[in-house]
Amino acid sequence: MSTLKNFATVKVSKSIWALFGILIGLFLLTSFIDPYFFSIPAVGVTLSLAAPLGLLAAGQTICMLTGGIDLSIAMIAAGAAFIVSVKSPSGTATALLWGALFCILVGSINGLAVGLFGMNPLIMTLGMNAVLIGVFTVGVTTFLKGSSSMPEILVTASNATFLFDPFSWPLVIWAVIGGMLLFLLNKTGLGRLIYAIGDNAQAARLAGVKVWQVQWATYVICALLGGIGGVLIGGQSGAVAISLANPFLLPSVAAVVIGGTSIMGGIGNYTGTILGTLILTVLSYLLATINSSEAVKQMIYGAIILTLAWTYSKISQNS
Amino acid sequence: MNLVQARRQSWNIGIVVLVLILGFWRINQLPQFGSYEARTFILGILPIALLSMGQAVIIIGGGINLAIGAEAVLINCLSAKYMAGTSFTTSVFLAFLFIGIGGLVGAITGWIVSASGIADIVVTLATSFLLVGVAMFVMPQPGGGINQGVADLIGGKDPNFIPPLIWLILPLLIIWIPLYRSRTGIAMYAIGSNKDAAFLSGVNVNRTRIKVYAVGGLFAGLSGVVLTGITLSASPFATISSTATLNSVAGAVLGGVSLAGGVGGLAGPAMAALVLYFIPNIMLASGIDPAYSQIITGALTIFVVLVGGLLRKRTGKT
Repeated sequence: MSTLKNFATVKVSKSIWALFGILIGLFLLTSFIDPYFFSIPAVGVTLSLAAPLGLLAAGQTICMLTGGIDLSIAMIAAGAAFIVSVKSPSGTATALLWGALFCILVGSINGLAVGLFGMNPLIMTLGMNAVLIGVFTVGVTTFLKGSSSMPEILVTASNATFLFDPFSWPLVIWAVIGGMLLFLLNKTGLGRLIYAIGDNAQAARLAGVKVWQVQWATYVICALLGGIGGVLIGGQSGAVAISLANPFLLPSVAAVVIGGTSIMGGIGNYTGTILGTLILTVLSYLLATINSSEAVKQMIYGAIILTLAWTYSKISQNS
Repeated sequence: MNLVQARRQSWNIGIVVLVLILGFWRINQLPQFGSYEARTFILGILPIALLSMGQAVIIIGGGINLAIGAEAVLINCLSAKYMAGTSFTTSVFLAFLFIGIGGLVGAITGWIVSASGIADIVVTLATSFLLVGVAMFVMPQPGGGINQGVADLIGGKDPNFIPPLIWLILPLLIIWIPLYRSRTGIAMYAIGSNKDAAFLSGVNVNRTRIKVYAVGGLFAGLSGVVLTGITLSASPFATISSTATLNSVAGAVLGGVSLAGGVGGLAGPAMAALVLYFIPNIMLASGIDPAYSQIITGALTIFVVLVGGLLRKRTGKT
């Protein structure tokens, strides 16, 4: 087991360096085309825009490490932002608590359905996505009527600079939560179990792991991460809408895949996802700079995901 | 094997009963039911039914294609762009050409999955971006058109519901049944239920997978051309493609195709499309907010897969 673990670690660290190289290359290329990008304010803005995607991708990472996927994460994010804004008249803390409760509820339903009832995660979260769209579409005009703007303090927290420039509040929030997640995955029992059931759920169960509890915890954490990301997205755009986080759904999966986490589970790390998030963010800046049409943007986006994923699987087959 | 067959039969009967109940309900809501209403029903489900069938073929073969909606959107845009203002014969020729291109795109997707060894979900996620990009490139703005004669051939002149019905059933007869009965069909079920066992029994896994994806692509191409024939235009939007993809997966699953692969057929998904069409329409007519239909569709899909999974456990097929 330990040799296997080392083997996996070596493989991952090799690709992390490759990703880092790609990120630096993209950064220099973008700076070459648009010299303004090579400045501290521009980097600061890019990093603060990367934070929500980083958080959604964090949730996606732990789901994929268990061999699952959460396609409802964008609606969870939008829903959390929605609830926070509607409940904001009764105080920001209360509003955030309501948002967290919502995430825990949805995450629990996802996790228990996957863990206890053996639902396919893809279908479960796809169905959950449809249910949430319906609930919120109905809710807008009935039980969730009210304010559609985020509390002032959260708008500030989603945009303001922290101390001095390249640092912003979203970046700090991302760094703190990302650090906690890295600790969780690498140093705690739950982290080990997440890898274990992603590697081989059957073996983990026979070894005495309560697989369903791990999956439950995973989907709840994923939903909470999505919710925090959603609040940041809501804060950055000022007003909330049901389709708020939709553009983040596929990139959240893409960031994880680019970061080298296997969709089959058991292999990967959040470090890779962070790099994947930054690569995607710099890439979208680059594509916006060269003023490419939406068509070219989509094509390049797809081609890059495919190329990186292909390169990975070749690297891991050879070693 | 008998148990599995029995379960499949009961599933199909269940879907038929559901379609009949919902169908009668919907017809009762209408002031009258004639060929005009029948045509509306069939036109309402045709594109998504074809897409669900394409998705079903791929899922039976052990894969999943998250780019199938993007394939349909691409063919929709291609056909609406190049068929606008053409003569009848040119339009017919182009229709077949574009359906063929759909198959080719599917085959290339299957080849990438085979050659790269990456999970189907990841490959098709990437190609879904790519194909929507190409569609937007082909047609930056919604628009386009089609020869009216060909449109009538696809959608039928107003109260005539026979042509769209033919387009729903014909692909089953000329694509699915020959495939199902062929060696490739057996190989498809084999790689879907156990890839390694199929390989060890001498099945060429990669070639079969490419064929399966190609057939899925044919259905997607057909769906795209049919959409042009019905709407007389095309819209290159990523949201259309992702919604269509999700509906195609829901239709396939509701139609009794197991996501684990190797189980199911195409008649189920075609009928499941009817279920997915009736629900929002019935609710709309009953004065319920149609947004609830999203909840029902989502919950129904979850429920169906849940029950299917529990049944599978009881019949011992894991």
